[in-house]
Amino acid sequence: MRSTPRWTSRPIETLLAELGAMAASFRAGLGAAVAAWPVLLGRAIFYGVCLMVLTAFWDKVGSQRLSGAFALRLPPQGLATYVGVTEWVTLSVPAIQLKLEDDIRGGALEAQLLKPKFYLAQAIAGQAGGMAARLLVLGAAALALLAVSGRAWPSAGGIAAAAVLGVVGAAIGVLLYGLVGLTAFWIRRVLPALLIVQKLMFLLGGLFAPISLYPDWLRIPATLSPFGAHLAFAGQAVIGLSVADFWRALALQAFWLAALSLIAVLVWRAGLAKTLKAGVS
Amino acid sequence: MNPAITVKELRKAYRYSRRRRGAPNGPLRALAGLFNPDIVEVEAVAGVSFTVAAGERVAVIGPNGAGKSTTLKMLSGVLEPSAGAADVLGFTPWRQRRALAYEIGVVFGQRSQLWSELPVRDSFSLLRRIYDQPEGACRRRRDALIERFGVGEVLDQPAGRLSLGQRMRCEIVASLLHAPRLLFLDEPTIGLDVTAKAAIRDFVREQSLNEGQTVVLTSHDTRDIELVCERVIVINAGRIVLDRPIADLRRFIARKLVTLQSQAPTLALELPGVARRPAEPHTTILEIDTRRTRVDVVIAAALALGGIEDVTVEDPPMEEVVHEIYAALDK
Amino acid sequence: MNAVSTYAAQSLAAVRASFADRTNFALQALAMIVNNGFWLALWFMFFAGFKQVGGWRLGDVARLLGIIYTLFGTATVFFGGYRDMAGAILRGEIDPLLTQPKPLLPRLLARESIPSAWGDLVTGLLILTFSARLDLAGALLVAAALAIGLVAWLSTTVIFASLGFWFAGARSLSRDLMDFTLLVSTYPASIYSGWVKIVAFTILPAGFVAMAPVALVRDPSPAAAALATGGAAAYAAIALGAFHLGLRRYRRGGSPES
Repeated sequence: MRSTPRWTSRPIETLLAELGAMAASFRAGLGAAVAAWPVLLGRAIFYGVCLMVLTAFWDKVGSQRLSGAFALRLPPQGLATYVGVTEWVTLSVPAIQLKLEDDIRGGALEAQLLKPKFYLAQAIAGQAGGMAARLLVLGAAALALLAVSGRAWPSAGGIAAAAVLGVVGAAIGVLLYGLVGLTAFWIRRVLPALLIVQKLMFLLGGLFAPISLYPDWLRIPATLSPFGAHLAFAGQAVIGLSVADFWRALALQAFWLAALSLIAVLVWRAGLAKTLKAGVS
Repeated sequence: MNPAITVKELRKAYRYSRRRRGAPNGPLRALAGLFNPDIVEVEAVAGVSFTVAAGERVAVIGPNGAGKSTTLKMLSGVLEPSAGAADVLGFTPWRQRRALAYEIGVVFGQRSQLWSELPVRDSFSLLRRIYDQPEGACRRRRDALIERFGVGEVLDQPAGRLSLGQRMRCEIVASLLHAPRLLFLDEPTIGLDVTAKAAIRDFVREQSLNEGQTVVLTSHDTRDIELVCERVIVINAGRIVLDRPIADLRRFIARKLVTLQSQAPTLALELPGVARRPAEPHTTILEIDTRRTRVDVVIAAALALGGIEDVTVEDPPMEEVVHEIYAALDK
Repeated sequence: MNAVSTYAAQSLAAVRASFADRTNFALQALAMIVNNGFWLALWFMFFAGFKQVGGWRLGDVARLLGIIYTLFGTATVFFGGYRDMAGAILRGEIDPLLTQPKPLLPRLLARESIPSAWGDLVTGLLILTFSARLDLAGALLVAAALAIGLVAWLSTTVIFASLGFWFAGARSLSRDLMDFTLLVSTYPASIYSGWVKIVAFTILPAGFVAMAPVALVRDPSPAAAALATGGAAAYAAIALGAFHLGLRRYRRGGSPES
């Protein structure tokens, strides 16, 4: 029994079979998330509380008459919608690293490897299903909160752009957390790797403030990093993004989606090879 | 001498909302449930009365849901009854819970008194402080108990890491550290192996005989009752259906069931004191009256026939025993 | 006093138990220090650009975080049982404790000590050492603020945990409510107004856990002292009331079992 598909003999058929299995995993993950609707509701409330605090914060900052380069860089309508988008993406990304850590260290992996489908793809697809449920529920919450708050709405184009960049960004987030989970092949607990990646996502992704506020030496690396692709572009869409910039952002996201997927497969193979030789340390 | 426990018409009713049949699960149903709950009242204990003398060992048995644990909880002060009265060592349990607590030792089979993350030794020392026990006397008692139960080698392990048998032995030691006058044991041998059960039974009986401790024990295991207690109270559906010395009940519980799997579809086995129960082909279920014959005699006879593939020896289920008791009462 | 020494014995036993897995302990504590350091760095960056928000400067925020981290760390190391108290109630783990002669609430608080909270405690103390006034009056004010905030925080968590006597979903709900209250507490009080401020002084009492104690240090006055102390005392009373009401309900209703 091989754990990787038979690419050499029947590539198209194998690929379609893998995609089919991933789709089934996705549906299962989505169904499980919907069935646990109290958890989704709790997450939506958490989202609301986060926004309550963060918008109070940025409104206060925005209401002050400040001078200086920083103040001028603040968008005129304030950052409420910006944090609404970044928190939407951040809270939608599921904790795939926990599942991978459990499976790899807990021995459930062996059972999975005996199945004829690619485990990592299945795991990611399943988590993506849960992510889809959260994106929908939190997105609805975001729109409802915006309507209730009486704030100015971003342009329709801005909302659409944020939606697209946000969904792709969330997928990038899954891959980033997935890589964190894969470190479980080598280190006992993924917590340190998680903390580092998470903080990079918050800082270079601009969770609380747009990276356009950063000085150049920080902003440029952030824009080019996978962390920027995860979060910063979606947020930027609601405070002002030209059409050209939108396509550039999407291209960067596509690049990182492909690159991170490739890295994940390579890390997975390395980890598997190590486990098959030496066992789980 | 005053009885240790006096119970008069103790009742406990629970109210809870029942799921409406056929309604789909989900947020809408939860909302509907809030406004139109279907409240059901269940009488877990429907009026029990009994007395336990000081130094007596009583077993309270009955099928699942009969009200045994609930009764024990009311007598130890954990639950308040809906109606009725009880006097335990001169205290009303639910009103004088803390005063009573110094005098009783409780072992709840599924819930632990020990700190699961701490070495057992630390749990014992903390319990000594909780029961305000003077250090010297308590230490002597503790050492004697540790020796008697053979838990010396696990003292430095966290309680959460012990096997069930080791943990239950430590629980019993913990419950006896403050030399209680009355011991409540709720399913103390559940899930234990034969050796552990024997150790616990022997000790509890000895303690009571030597120190005059009163014991109230609930169990599903008929051997617990046979070997420890002198009196049995049978509870069913919240009521006492029988309250007799153990000798009267030996008729019902001195039994074993032997199940044989054989190559032959039937076995020709007729022995005195052995009754046959209905079974499928290749299976023979024998009910042995252990006062008339021995299990090993029966098994030897079966094995002598040849072609036996499997032998199982079990106690008859408690439900059966209670059923039988009912049947006997009807006559 | 006997009650204090009994509590101390239990709490220290829980702390010792949290040390048992050394690697895990170090990992959790260090991770929290790094985590807290990150948030401090973010605030540093913010104030480098924006100078102040609602009259609060970097020093004010540092003092706020120093107080919050210290009181949260103290609470979670020495009274850490509050975190999963709702869970303990729902799992029926209080039954054996009810057969013991000591009061239930201290037993429940002393049961557990969380390793990562040492990271919060260390971070908080470090910040306070560097940012607070080091004279006697300043230190006393900070100590008072810490004590008041600690009482308010523990009372808040006991109220949330007591929901376990009423609702099956209280385990995660109580954790969420605690997280929300902390979230609201770690931002400068000057940003809150209107209904958000009302929420912060009632349902999610960040007002009494953080804002009032910090205001006492920032702007000491008899009025500030009265608000902070009165608020904490009121919440303590509510907490004891809620817990005992819940316990009474538990002992009357219980759950259907054999």
